[in-house]
Amino acid sequence: MRRSPAKPDADPLALDDETVERLLTGELSPAQAPPAYAEVAALLAAMAAPPSPEELSGQAAALAELRKTTRPGRAAAGTRRATRPPRRRLGLAAVVLAGALATGGVAAAATGHIPAPVREVARGILAPLGDGTPPAPPAEPGSPPDPVATGGPASAGPATSSQGSQPTGTTRPGPAATVPGSAAGLDNKGLCQAYLAGKDAEPGKKRESSALQALARAAGGEDKIAGYCAELLPDGAKPDGGNDDKPEPGGQGQGQGGPPPSSGPGNQDERAPDAPGR
Amino acid sequence: MIGPEFPDVLDAAASGEEEAFGRLWRDLQPRLLRYFMVAAPAVAEDLASETWLGVVRGLDRFRGNEPAFRAWVFTIARHELLDWRRRAARRATEDLPMNGLTDQPAPDDPAAAALEDISTRSALAQVATLPADQAEAIVLRVVAGLGVDRVAAIMGKRPGTVRVLTHRGLRRLAERLGADHIRGMV
Repeated sequence: MRRSPAKPDADPLALDDETVERLLTGELSPAQAPPAYAEVAALLAAMAAPPSPEELSGQAAALAELRKTTRPGRAAAGTRRATRPPRRRLGLAAVVLAGALATGGVAAAATGHIPAPVREVARGILAPLGDGTPPAPPAEPGSPPDPVATGGPASAGPATSSQGSQPTGTTRPGPAATVPGSAAGLDNKGLCQAYLAGKDAEPGKKRESSALQALARAAGGEDKIAGYCAELLPDGAKPDGGNDDKPEPGGQGQGQGGPPPSSGPGNQDERAPDAPGR
Repeated sequence: MIGPEFPDVLDAAASGEEEAFGRLWRDLQPRLLRYFMVAAPAVAEDLASETWLGVVRGLDRFRGNEPAFRAWVFTIARHELLDWRRRAARRATEDLPMNGLTDQPAPDDPAAAALEDISTRSALAQVATLPADQAEAIVLRVVAGLGVDRVAAIMGKRPGTVRVLTHRGLRRLAERLGADHIRGMV
Protein backbone atom coordinates (compact mmCIF):
# COMPACT_ATOMS: atom_id res chain seq x y z
CA MET A 1 0.00 0.00 0.00
CA ARG A 2 1.88 3.05 -1.18
CA ARG A 3 1.01 6.62 -0.57
CA SER A 4 4.00 8.27 -2.09
CA PRO A 5 2.96 9.96 -5.28
CA ALA A 6 6.10 12.05 -5.36
CA LYS A 7 8.46 9.11 -5.76
CA PRO A 8 6.65 6.08 -7.02
CA ASP A 9 9.77 3.98 -6.90
CA ALA A 10 10.80 4.91 -3.38
CA ASP A 11 8.88 3.85 -0.31
CA PRO A 12 9.28 6.63 2.23
CA LEU A 13 8.40 4.22 4.96
CA ALA A 14 11.06 1.72 4.01
CA LEU A 15 13.52 0.99 6.77
CA ASP A 16 16.64 -1.10 6.88
CA ASP A 17 17.43 -3.24 9.89
CA GLU A 18 20.11 -0.96 11.16
CA THR A 19 17.82 2.05 11.16
CA VAL A 20 15.17 0.07 13.01
CA GLU A 21 17.77 -0.81 15.58
CA ARG A 22 18.94 2.74 15.97
CA LEU A 23 15.40 3.96 16.38
CA LEU A 24 14.69 1.36 19.04
CA THR A 25 17.79 2.19 21.02
CA GLY A 26 17.08 5.89 20.89
CA GLU A 27 20.20 6.57 18.93
CA LEU A 28 18.24 8.48 16.32
CA SER A 29 16.57 11.61 17.49
CA PRO A 30 13.51 12.89 15.66
CA ALA A 31 15.78 15.19 13.70
CA GLN A 32 18.10 12.35 12.74
CA ALA A 33 15.45 9.83 11.88
CA PRO A 34 14.26 9.24 8.35
CA PRO A 35 11.70 11.95 7.67
CA ALA A 36 8.73 9.59 7.75
CA TYR A 37 9.85 8.38 11.17
CA ALA A 38 10.42 11.66 12.97
CA GLU A 39 7.19 11.32 14.90
CA VAL A 40 7.94 7.70 15.67
CA ALA A 41 11.32 8.67 17.04
CA ALA A 42 9.62 11.21 19.29
CA LEU A 43 7.13 8.61 20.40
CA LEU A 44 9.84 6.12 21.25
CA ALA A 45 11.69 8.77 23.21
CA ALA A 46 8.55 9.49 25.17
CA MET A 47 8.17 5.80 25.94
CA ALA A 48 11.65 5.77 27.33
CA ALA A 49 11.40 9.02 29.23
CA PRO A 50 12.66 9.21 32.81
CA PRO A 51 10.31 7.99 35.51
CA SER A 52 7.54 10.23 36.70
CA PRO A 53 6.86 10.82 40.39
CA GLU A 54 3.67 8.81 40.07
CA GLU A 55 5.54 5.83 38.75
CA LEU A 56 7.85 5.98 41.74
CA SER A 57 5.21 6.57 44.33
CA GLY A 58 4.82 2.95 45.39
CA GLN A 59 8.29 2.49 46.79
CA ALA A 60 7.32 2.52 50.46
CA ALA A 61 4.74 -0.18 49.88
CA ALA A 62 7.25 -2.23 47.94
CA LEU A 63 9.77 -2.01 50.75
CA ALA A 64 7.10 -3.07 53.20
CA GLU A 65 6.52 -6.15 51.08
CA LEU A 66 10.23 -6.82 51.09
CA ARG A 67 10.30 -6.67 54.85
CA LYS A 68 7.48 -9.14 55.06
CA THR A 69 9.05 -11.53 52.63
CA THR A 70 12.59 -11.39 53.89
CA ARG A 71 12.94 -13.80 56.72
CA PRO A 72 12.93 -11.96 59.99
CA GLY A 73 16.09 -12.12 62.00
CA ARG A 74 19.29 -10.99 60.50
CA ALA A 75 20.83 -14.32 61.37
CA ALA A 76 19.02 -15.79 58.42
CA ALA A 77 20.34 -13.07 56.20
CA GLY A 78 23.81 -13.76 57.45
CA THR A 79 23.40 -17.43 56.65
CA ARG A 80 22.16 -16.67 53.21
CA ARG A 81 25.11 -14.50 52.54
CA ALA A 82 27.48 -17.16 53.69
CA THR A 83 26.03 -19.84 51.50
CA ARG A 84 25.96 -17.71 48.41
CA PRO A 85 29.09 -17.54 46.36
CA PRO A 86 30.78 -14.60 47.94
CA ARG A 87 30.23 -11.46 45.99
CA ARG A 88 32.41 -9.24 47.99
CA ARG A 89 31.98 -5.53 48.06
CA LEU A 90 34.15 -3.76 45.60
CA GLY A 91 36.98 -2.35 47.57
CA LEU A 92 40.53 -1.34 47.17
CA ALA A 93 41.56 -4.81 46.10
CA ALA A 94 39.06 -4.67 43.32
CA VAL A 95 40.30 -1.33 42.13
CA VAL A 96 43.83 -2.64 42.15
CA LEU A 97 42.77 -5.74 40.34
CA ALA A 98 40.95 -3.78 37.72
CA GLY A 99 44.04 -1.74 37.21
CA ALA A 100 46.17 -4.85 37.01
CA LEU A 101 43.97 -6.48 34.46
CA ALA A 102 43.83 -3.34 32.43
CA THR A 103 47.56 -3.18 32.24
CA GLY A 104 47.95 -6.71 31.09
CA GLY A 105 47.77 -8.57 34.30
CA VAL A 106 51.27 -7.54 35.23
CA ALA A 107 50.53 -7.87 38.88
CA ALA A 108 49.13 -11.31 38.35
CA ALA A 109 52.18 -12.29 36.42
CA ALA A 110 54.40 -10.95 39.13
CA THR A 111 52.77 -12.88 41.91
CA GLY A 112 52.21 -15.98 39.85
CA HIS A 113 48.57 -16.24 40.67
CA ILE A 114 45.60 -14.38 41.94
CA PRO A 115 44.28 -15.52 45.26
CA ALA A 116 40.79 -16.89 45.32
CA PRO A 117 39.00 -14.00 47.02
CA VAL A 118 40.43 -11.59 44.51
CA ARG A 119 39.30 -13.87 41.71
CA GLU A 120 35.81 -13.57 43.04
CA VAL A 121 36.19 -9.84 43.05
CA ALA A 122 37.30 -10.04 39.47
CA ARG A 123 34.06 -11.70 38.63
CA GLY A 124 32.22 -9.02 40.44
CA ILE A 125 33.95 -6.34 38.43
CA LEU A 126 33.85 -8.07 35.13
CA ALA A 127 30.38 -9.48 35.38
CA PRO A 128 28.67 -6.25 34.40
CA LEU A 129 30.76 -6.14 31.28
CA GLY A 130 29.84 -9.58 30.25
CA ASP A 131 26.96 -11.94 30.16
CA GLY A 132 25.34 -13.68 33.02
CA THR A 133 28.18 -15.96 33.76
CA PRO A 134 27.66 -16.50 37.41
CA PRO A 135 30.11 -16.20 40.21
CA ALA A 136 29.46 -19.86 40.74
CA PRO A 137 32.22 -21.95 42.20
CA PRO A 138 34.88 -22.22 39.56
CA ALA A 139 35.26 -25.52 37.84
CA GLU A 140 38.58 -25.97 39.49
CA PRO A 141 38.42 -24.29 42.81
CA GLY A 142 41.90 -25.17 43.77
CA SER A 143 43.62 -24.09 40.65
CA PRO A 144 45.69 -21.04 41.36
CA PRO A 145 48.25 -21.27 38.59
CA ASP A 146 45.89 -20.08 35.95
CA PRO A 147 44.55 -16.81 37.13
CA VAL A 148 43.76 -15.35 33.79
CA ALA A 149 41.95 -18.40 32.62
CA THR A 150 39.88 -18.48 35.74
CA GLY A 151 39.16 -14.92 35.01
CA GLY A 152 37.98 -16.23 31.69
CA PRO A 153 34.37 -16.93 32.47
CA ALA A 154 34.22 -13.73 34.35
CA SER A 155 35.71 -11.64 31.63
CA ALA A 156 32.73 -13.02 30.02
CA GLY A 157 32.03 -10.04 27.93
CA PRO A 158 34.09 -11.25 25.06
CA ALA A 159 33.63 -14.87 25.83
CA THR A 160 29.93 -14.72 25.70
CA SER A 161 29.58 -12.11 23.14
CA SER A 162 31.71 -13.96 20.70
CA GLN A 163 31.72 -17.53 21.76
CA GLY A 164 35.21 -17.41 23.06
CA SER A 165 36.70 -16.19 19.87
CA GLN A 166 37.49 -12.83 21.33
CA PRO A 167 40.86 -12.63 22.95
CA THR A 168 41.10 -10.00 25.53
CA GLY A 169 44.23 -11.21 27.12
CA THR A 170 42.37 -12.38 30.13
CA THR A 171 41.20 -15.63 28.68
CA ARG A 172 44.59 -16.81 27.61
CA PRO A 173 46.04 -19.19 30.08
CA GLY A 174 49.26 -18.31 31.74
CA PRO A 175 50.16 -15.48 29.43
CA ALA A 176 49.37 -12.54 31.55
CA ALA A 177 51.89 -10.90 29.34
CA THR A 178 50.23 -11.56 26.04
CA VAL A 179 47.65 -8.89 26.21
CA PRO A 180 46.76 -8.56 22.59
CA GLY A 181 47.19 -5.14 21.20
CA SER A 182 47.76 -2.96 24.14
CA ALA A 183 46.42 -2.06 27.49
CA ALA A 184 44.56 0.74 25.82
CA GLY A 185 42.98 -1.74 23.47
CA LEU A 186 41.86 -3.84 26.38
CA ASP A 187 40.43 -0.83 28.12
CA ASN A 188 38.49 0.18 25.09
CA LYS A 189 37.12 -3.30 24.62
CA GLY A 190 35.87 -3.13 28.16
CA LEU A 191 34.44 0.29 27.53
CA CYS A 192 32.76 -0.98 24.40
CA GLN A 193 31.30 -3.85 26.33
CA ALA A 194 29.95 -1.50 28.90
CA TYR A 195 28.75 0.87 26.22
CA LEU A 196 26.96 -1.86 24.37
CA ALA A 197 25.51 -3.30 27.51
CA GLY A 198 24.49 0.03 28.83
CA LYS A 199 23.16 1.86 25.86
CA ASP A 200 20.09 -0.24 25.69
CA ALA A 201 19.34 0.12 29.34
CA GLU A 202 19.13 3.75 30.11
CA PRO A 203 15.94 5.24 28.92
CA GLY A 204 16.00 8.95 28.91
CA LYS A 205 19.42 9.39 30.40
CA LYS A 206 22.02 11.37 28.58
CA ARG A 207 25.01 9.14 28.30
CA GLU A 208 27.62 11.58 29.27
CA SER A 209 30.44 10.16 31.15
CA SER A 210 34.16 10.16 31.11
CA ALA A 211 33.99 6.62 29.82
CA LEU A 212 31.86 7.70 26.93
CA GLN A 213 34.16 10.58 26.20
CA ALA A 214 37.15 8.30 26.29
CA LEU A 215 35.44 6.05 23.79
CA ALA A 216 34.53 9.02 21.68
CA ARG A 217 38.16 10.13 21.62
CA ALA A 218 39.30 6.68 20.64
CA ALA A 219 36.66 6.42 17.98
CA GLY A 220 37.15 9.93 16.63
CA GLY A 221 33.75 11.21 17.61
CA GLU A 222 30.71 10.20 19.59
CA ASP A 223 28.84 9.28 16.45
CA LYS A 224 31.65 6.95 15.51
CA ILE A 225 31.55 4.94 18.70
CA ALA A 226 29.14 2.38 17.36
CA GLY A 227 31.35 1.69 14.37
CA TYR A 228 34.50 1.68 16.48
CA CYS A 229 33.05 -0.81 18.91
CA ALA A 230 31.79 -2.90 16.04
CA GLU A 231 35.33 -3.24 14.82
CA LEU A 232 36.69 -3.92 18.25
CA LEU A 233 34.05 -6.45 19.13
CA PRO A 234 32.81 -7.82 15.83
CA ASP A 235 30.69 -10.47 17.40
CA GLY A 236 29.41 -8.48 20.27
CA ALA A 237 28.27 -5.50 18.32
CA LYS A 238 25.97 -6.73 15.63
CA PRO A 239 23.63 -3.94 14.64
CA ASP A 240 20.70 -6.25 15.03
CA GLY A 241 20.50 -6.26 18.75
CA GLY A 242 24.14 -6.59 19.55
CA ASN A 243 23.71 -3.99 22.22
CA ASP A 244 22.73 -6.73 24.53
CA ASP A 245 24.94 -9.30 26.08
CA LYS A 246 24.65 -11.54 23.17
CA PRO A 247 24.18 -15.21 23.27
CA GLU A 248 21.41 -15.44 25.73
CA PRO A 249 18.94 -17.88 24.24
CA GLY A 250 19.54 -21.49 24.93
CA GLY A 251 20.38 -20.81 28.49
CA GLN A 252 23.94 -19.91 27.92
CA GLY A 253 23.46 -16.69 29.69
CA GLN A 254 23.10 -18.07 33.13
CA GLY A 255 26.39 -19.74 33.33
CA GLN A 256 28.91 -21.25 31.12
CA GLY A 257 29.40 -24.78 32.26
CA GLY A 258 33.10 -24.52 32.71
CA PRO A 259 36.01 -22.44 31.64
CA PRO A 260 36.34 -21.88 27.94
CA PRO A 261 38.50 -24.27 25.98
CA SER A 262 41.27 -21.74 25.95
CA SER A 263 42.06 -22.72 29.45
CA GLY A 264 42.91 -26.19 28.28
CA PRO A 265 46.66 -25.90 28.45
CA GLY A 266 46.27 -24.48 31.89
CA ASN A 267 44.41 -27.57 32.90
CA GLN A 268 47.15 -29.73 31.62
CA ASP A 269 49.63 -27.85 33.67
CA GLU A 270 47.56 -28.39 36.72
CA ARG A 271 47.23 -32.04 36.06
CA ALA A 272 50.89 -32.50 35.41
CA PRO A 273 51.67 -33.73 38.89
CA ASP A 274 49.03 -36.38 38.51
CA ALA A 275 50.00 -37.41 35.08
CA PRO A 276 51.45 -40.87 35.05
CA GLY A 277 54.07 -39.52 32.76
CA ARG A 278 53.44 -42.06 30.13
CA MET B 1 20.33 1.30 34.90
CA ILE B 2 22.51 0.76 37.91
CA GLY B 3 25.79 0.11 36.16
CA PRO B 4 29.06 -1.15 37.60
CA GLU B 5 27.70 -1.24 41.13
CA PHE B 6 25.05 -3.72 40.13
CA PRO B 7 26.59 -6.88 41.59
CA ASP B 8 26.96 -5.21 44.98
CA VAL B 9 23.47 -3.77 44.85
CA LEU B 10 22.04 -7.14 43.92
CA ASP B 11 23.93 -8.87 46.68
CA ALA B 12 22.76 -6.36 49.24
CA ALA B 13 19.18 -6.42 48.04
CA ALA B 14 19.11 -10.20 48.18
CA SER B 15 20.24 -9.96 51.77
CA GLY B 16 17.30 -7.71 52.52
CA GLU B 17 19.03 -4.36 52.49
CA GLU B 18 16.30 -1.89 51.79
CA GLU B 19 18.35 0.83 50.22
CA ALA B 20 19.80 -1.57 47.68
CA PHE B 21 16.42 -3.06 46.96
CA GLY B 22 15.06 0.44 46.56
CA ARG B 23 17.57 1.14 43.83
CA LEU B 24 16.53 -1.95 41.93
CA TRP B 25 12.91 -1.04 42.44
CA ARG B 26 13.30 2.52 41.21
CA ASP B 27 15.07 1.34 38.10
CA LEU B 28 12.58 -1.36 37.20
CA GLN B 29 9.19 -0.32 38.50
CA PRO B 30 8.57 2.44 35.93
CA ARG B 31 9.51 0.06 33.17
CA LEU B 32 7.20 -2.61 34.53
CA LEU B 33 4.33 -0.18 34.82
CA ARG B 34 4.78 0.93 31.24
CA TYR B 35 4.98 -2.67 30.04
CA PHE B 36 1.71 -3.49 31.75
CA MET B 37 0.11 -0.21 30.67
CA VAL B 38 0.31 -1.34 27.08
CA ALA B 39 -1.12 -4.78 27.63
CA ALA B 40 -3.32 -4.54 30.72
CA PRO B 41 -3.73 -0.93 31.78
CA ALA B 42 -6.54 -1.49 34.27
CA VAL B 43 -4.37 -3.76 36.38
CA ALA B 44 -0.91 -2.44 35.64
CA GLU B 45 -0.06 -1.62 39.24
CA ASP B 46 -1.38 -4.91 40.54
CA LEU B 47 0.59 -6.90 38.02
CA ALA B 48 3.70 -4.92 38.82
CA SER B 49 3.26 -5.74 42.50
CA GLU B 50 2.83 -9.39 41.70
CA THR B 51 5.98 -9.25 39.64
CA TRP B 52 7.93 -7.85 42.58
CA LEU B 53 6.74 -10.67 44.80
CA GLY B 54 8.20 -13.09 42.32
CA VAL B 55 11.39 -11.11 42.12
CA VAL B 56 11.83 -10.97 45.88
CA ARG B 57 11.24 -14.69 46.19
CA GLY B 58 13.88 -15.52 43.64
CA LEU B 59 16.30 -12.74 44.38
CA ASP B 60 18.92 -14.61 46.33
CA ARG B 61 19.04 -17.40 43.77
CA PHE B 62 19.54 -15.11 40.82
CA ARG B 63 22.93 -15.09 39.15
CA GLY B 64 23.85 -12.77 36.35
CA ASN B 65 24.62 -9.26 35.30
CA GLU B 66 22.30 -6.33 35.04
CA PRO B 67 20.77 -6.96 31.61
CA ALA B 68 20.26 -10.60 32.57
CA PHE B 69 18.53 -9.46 35.74
CA ARG B 70 16.26 -7.14 33.87
CA ALA B 71 15.41 -9.90 31.42
CA TRP B 72 14.63 -12.19 34.35
CA VAL B 73 12.33 -9.61 35.91
CA PHE B 74 10.47 -9.16 32.66
CA THR B 75 10.15 -12.89 32.23
CA ILE B 76 8.35 -12.89 35.55
CA ALA B 77 6.29 -9.92 34.43
CA ARG B 78 5.23 -11.70 31.28
CA HIS B 79 4.15 -14.74 33.24
CA GLU B 80 2.04 -12.51 35.46
CA LEU B 81 0.47 -11.00 32.39
CA LEU B 82 -0.33 -14.35 30.82
CA ASP B 83 -1.71 -15.67 34.10
CA TRP B 84 -3.90 -12.63 34.41
CA ARG B 85 -5.18 -13.07 30.87
CA ARG B 86 -6.07 -16.69 31.58
CA ARG B 87 -7.90 -15.74 34.75
CA ALA B 88 -9.67 -12.93 32.96
CA ALA B 89 -10.70 -15.24 30.13
CA ARG B 90 -12.15 -17.68 32.63
CA ARG B 91 -14.11 -14.86 34.23
CA ALA B 92 -15.29 -13.97 30.73
CA THR B 93 -15.44 -10.32 31.59
CA GLU B 94 -16.26 -7.84 28.94
CA ASP B 95 -13.26 -5.64 29.28
CA LEU B 96 -10.69 -8.17 28.25
CA PRO B 97 -7.99 -6.07 26.72
CA MET B 98 -5.80 -8.59 25.05
CA ASN B 99 -4.19 -5.53 23.75
CA GLY B 100 -4.80 -1.85 23.91
CA LEU B 101 -5.83 0.71 26.42
CA THR B 102 -9.53 0.47 26.98
CA ASP B 103 -9.64 3.51 29.17
CA GLN B 104 -7.21 5.62 27.26
CA PRO B 105 -8.27 6.79 23.83
CA ALA B 106 -5.56 7.45 21.34
CA PRO B 107 -4.84 11.11 20.70
CA ASP B 108 -7.13 12.68 18.17
CA ASP B 109 -4.28 14.17 16.27
CA PRO B 110 -1.50 11.71 16.66
CA ALA B 111 0.96 13.56 14.50
CA ALA B 112 0.59 16.81 16.36
CA ALA B 113 0.81 15.09 19.68
CA ALA B 114 3.94 13.30 18.60
CA LEU B 115 5.69 16.40 17.51
CA GLU B 116 4.86 18.31 20.62
CA ASP B 117 5.69 17.36 24.15
CA ILE B 118 4.18 13.94 23.88
CA SER B 119 3.63 12.29 27.17
CA THR B 120 4.70 8.81 27.99
CA ARG B 121 1.12 7.80 28.43
CA SER B 122 -0.01 8.83 25.00
CA ALA B 123 3.04 7.21 23.48
CA LEU B 124 2.13 3.96 25.20
CA ALA B 125 -1.45 4.40 24.06
CA GLN B 126 -0.31 4.58 20.47
CA VAL B 127 1.80 1.47 20.83
CA ALA B 128 -1.08 -0.32 22.49
CA THR B 129 -3.12 -0.07 19.33
CA LEU B 130 -0.63 -2.24 17.47
CA PRO B 131 -1.04 -5.98 17.19
CA ALA B 132 -0.12 -7.48 20.54
CA ASP B 133 3.16 -9.09 19.54
CA GLN B 134 4.40 -6.01 17.76
CA ALA B 135 3.51 -3.87 20.76
CA GLU B 136 5.18 -6.21 23.21
CA ALA B 137 8.35 -6.50 21.16
CA ILE B 138 8.65 -2.74 20.93
CA VAL B 139 7.99 -2.23 24.62
CA LEU B 140 10.54 -4.84 25.64
CA ARG B 141 13.14 -3.29 23.37
CA VAL B 142 12.48 0.31 24.20
CA VAL B 143 11.10 0.38 27.73
CA ALA B 144 12.81 -2.65 29.20
CA GLY B 145 15.89 -1.77 27.20
CA LEU B 146 16.62 -5.35 26.25
CA GLY B 147 18.38 -6.55 23.14
CA VAL B 148 16.90 -8.69 20.42
CA ASP B 149 18.13 -12.01 21.77
CA ARG B 150 16.82 -11.42 25.26
CA VAL B 151 13.48 -10.18 23.99
CA ALA B 152 13.26 -13.26 21.80
CA ALA B 153 13.91 -15.50 24.78
CA ILE B 154 11.28 -13.72 26.86
CA MET B 155 8.66 -13.91 24.14
CA GLY B 156 9.52 -17.45 23.16
CA LYS B 157 10.28 -16.45 19.60
CA ARG B 158 13.25 -16.41 17.30
CA PRO B 159 15.36 -13.25 17.15
CA GLY B 160 14.51 -12.84 13.48
CA THR B 161 10.85 -12.86 14.34
CA VAL B 162 11.37 -10.19 16.96
CA ARG B 163 13.15 -8.04 14.40
CA VAL B 164 10.28 -8.40 11.99
CA LEU B 165 7.78 -7.55 14.72
CA THR B 166 9.53 -4.35 15.71
CA HIS B 167 10.08 -3.40 12.10
CA ARG B 168 6.43 -3.82 11.30
CA GLY B 169 5.34 -2.09 14.46
CA LEU B 170 7.45 0.96 13.76
CA ARG B 171 6.20 1.08 10.23
CA ARG B 172 2.62 0.94 11.35
CA LEU B 173 3.23 3.74 13.80
CA ALA B 174 4.85 5.80 11.07
CA GLU B 175 1.90 5.20 8.80
CA ARG B 176 -0.47 6.41 11.44
CA LEU B 177 1.57 9.30 12.74
CA GLY B 178 3.14 10.43 9.53
CA ALA B 179 0.26 9.90 7.15
CA ASP B 180 -0.44 13.57 6.91
CA HIS B 181 3.15 14.33 6.17
CA ILE B 182 3.39 11.73 3.47
CA ARG B 183 0.34 13.01 1.73
CA GLY B 184 1.68 16.51 2.04
CA MET B 185 4.90 15.58 0.33
CA VAL B 186 3.43 15.74 -3.13
